[in-house]
Amino acid sequence: MRVWLYLGIAVCLAGIGAVLHGTVPSSQDSKIVQSANPEDGKVIKGVFVSDYFNLSYRLSDELTEGLAGPPPSQSGYYVLGTWTPKRDFAGTVLVVAQDMFFAPGASDDVKNVVAEFRQVMSAVDGMTIDREPAPVSVGGHPGYRIDFSGVGLFRAMFAIEIRCHVVAFNLTSRDPESLASLARSLDSLDSARKEEMSDPVPECLKDYASGNIVSRVEPEGVGAKAVSIPARMIVATDGSVKHVHVIRASAAQRRNIEEAVRQWKFKPYVKQGQPVEVETGVMFNLKPTSM
Amino acid sequence: METIKLARARTLAGLAAMLLGSAAWSGTALAQGVSNPTTGVATANTNAANATADTNAVTANAAGRGQNNNSGGASSRAPTDPGVRGGDPGAGGALPGLNDVERQYFDVAKEVFQEVDAAADGLGPRFNLDSCSGCHSQPSIGGTSPATNPQVAVATLMGAKNVVPSFITANGPIREARFVRNRDGSPDGGVHSLFVITGRSDATGCNIAQPNFAAELARNNVVFRIPTPVFGLGLVENVSDGTLEASLAANAQQKRALGISGRFNRNGNDGTIARFGWKAQNKSLLLFSGEAYNVEMGITNELFQNERDSDPACQFKATPNDSTPLVSENTASPSASFQNDIDLFAAFMRFSAPPTPASAAAAPVAQATGASNVTAGQTTGTATGASTTSSSASTASGATSTASSTASTVVASATADVSSVMATAAGSSTAQPSSSASSGASVTRGNQVFSNVGCQACHTKTFTTEKSPLTGQSNVTLQPLSDFALHEMGVGLADGVSQGTANGNEFRTAPLWGVGQRIFFLHDGRTKDLHEAIQQHASRGSEANAVINNYNLLSRDDKQALINYLRSL
Repeated sequence: MRVWLYLGIAVCLAGIGAVLHGTVPSSQDSKIVQSANPEDGKVIKGVFVSDYFNLSYRLSDELTEGLAGPPPSQSGYYVLGTWTPKRDFAGTVLVVAQDMFFAPGASDDVKNVVAEFRQVMSAVDGMTIDREPAPVSVGGHPGYRIDFSGVGLFRAMFAIEIRCHVVAFNLTSRDPESLASLARSLDSLDSARKEEMSDPVPECLKDYASGNIVSRVEPEGVGAKAVSIPARMIVATDGSVKHVHVIRASAAQRRNIEEAVRQWKFKPYVKQGQPVEVETGVMFNLKPTSM
Repeated sequence: METIKLARARTLAGLAAMLLGSAAWSGTALAQGVSNPTTGVATANTNAANATADTNAVTANAAGRGQNNNSGGASSRAPTDPGVRGGDPGAGGALPGLNDVERQYFDVAKEVFQEVDAAADGLGPRFNLDSCSGCHSQPSIGGTSPATNPQVAVATLMGAKNVVPSFITANGPIREARFVRNRDGSPDGGVHSLFVITGRSDATGCNIAQPNFAAELARNNVVFRIPTPVFGLGLVENVSDGTLEASLAANAQQKRALGISGRFNRNGNDGTIARFGWKAQNKSLLLFSGEAYNVEMGITNELFQNERDSDPACQFKATPNDSTPLVSENTASPSASFQNDIDLFAAFMRFSAPPTPASAAAAPVAQATGASNVTAGQTTGTATGASTTSSSASTASGATSTASSTASTVVASATADVSSVMATAAGSSTAQPSSSASSGASVTRGNQVFSNVGCQACHTKTFTTEKSPLTGQSNVTLQPLSDFALHEMGVGLADGVSQGTANGNEFRTAPLWGVGQRIFFLHDGRTKDLHEAIQQHASRGSEANAVINNYNLLSRDDKQALINYLRSL
């Protein structure tokens, strides 16, 4: 009875304009802490809040949190959240992030990432590109949108760049109308905190660890396997390491890397004559302790 | 620049409208849900010595795990698995293109693969079965778990007094059991063989007991694996690391839009990609053979020289039980006459042809709408869907190849004639003929669905081999439908066993070639139904969740087409 759906939409559109302020959690609820990490986002009172990305995303009452995704990957890939409709299974929202410090492949910014994505998807048998990649602004962040469809699924990806991560909102639905509705839900994207209450966001520089480390302590290897472990770190204005985020590792590997990196000393980063905090990444290749 | 920032009021109006709309829709909306899987499984080919339990992983028995609260697949909407594709197995023969010497070698290797061993051959003292082919037999020698579980009969063979554990049933999958933790809580993860040779007429004096599986089951401490098919693995062995790495990177952007990443399980000694076994824990086919010979059959060999239970009263052959013969064993192949068993097992796998998919028109399909009917069609022997075959490609499995040794030969996409279909579909399905045109259309559509929803992001379709020492096997295109990478599969599939760099939640993408003729699915064989197997990919922490969401958004017809495509493989 699709006609009832459209009738419902018409009725609601006619009468609802004013219902809506004050439901996003206050900035105190999500006060920035520089120890926040990309995977630490959570849903608070119906709003997905990521302190790291400084994002809040009000979820439609129609949506409910889906199954949690996998842990962060060895290449710095995160599944931040999944949402699915509570009732009719009409569409989904998947929010992911890729750390561009550790991303495999040549694409190094959001424009190239979306262009590469378009190329891959257009090669899929039966897939149609419905909307070529075009600039958009989501929550005040510039990015790109691409729409595509195939086998009765209508999809869109909105990709933006924050702190040297490409954050992508992947929308999937059974029909274009539902896709448009999901796209409108991104209108609720906002900052999670007020600037005056936040520490300044560090400057992200991919290769700052190359040539700017004054003193470096190597972490001890753990186990018999050679593994690559990505880590991000925030360098304070005095060159000390303020925060270490070991993205994927065992507990022992994590501990060893954190202990070592906290002893590192960098050259302070100066921008326009002022010392500025820097966020950078290092891929550790821990050597086996026994072979 | 397009701006999507709209007035918040408008958004809420839209949401309210959706709410109303869905309420209005609810009168016709179909219920959603997912059935519980049956618990199950077992297997071979794992590294007991290197396996450790992941203490962070879920350790419970498979029962009750992996609930997907977003399956969207109410029973009334669920597609029907038409069951095992009938007709020619399309597997078990030698690679097309081999020369006569190589084929002779393969034939001897295949015979040895089927040998049944006794205590005098070194069987046991602890074991899961007494031959390779006993586990690897569906749909033909080299395959996987058959419909009738031979472990039930072997439990009491030759006077043995083994109790058949509760997870072994006559119609269930062959199972290998692993304990997740030791009694002191430390990680275990190793294989605990089901049976002992105690009581057998060829093992007089041996008096060791089976593990107490009932007690371990009560502790939720047992996980299972089923045998993996070994068809076509020589081609897999001959794909370079660079090709696998490039493949994983090639569709990285698509994977990132689906919540998928993936990584390889690398050998700790040389850093190269390991690719065999449920967790890609085995580097080579020889290692795979040597380990299974000792772990599954209790037969020590030149790779795994020491008995897993060294009770001197239970040893009936010098160790290693299998060793290189220094005197010819006078087989039909002069080369094979000087090979030990594990080399021949590896050769059987290395020389075996990959499974042959049915042609699109021949595939068994269930009707896309209405009652679930199993249909049978006639083959045309043409290529499947988008798969391409070169003019020099092989004929059906096991047939003598016409490929030249220098030409690029497409092996895995060759098609076989299928003249009948087993009516083993779920529920009250009834077999009936249907037009091959509709069968072909459904399978072709299913192939497209497979790619569109994202299955192929991990179940990668095509690779090409490197230069091979075997005749006609260089630059061969294969379609294993796996990226051979590890992926986080969530708590629903987690077994808590860590092997190599694979953790307790990670599994290698299972190659889907030949899946149309398999009976049991997933690492522990928990289901015989492909729709259920697909749903089981989704659970908390799984990389497959978004793809399964896509699957659940499909129309029933397209879900059915996907199942039909899989059964055509």
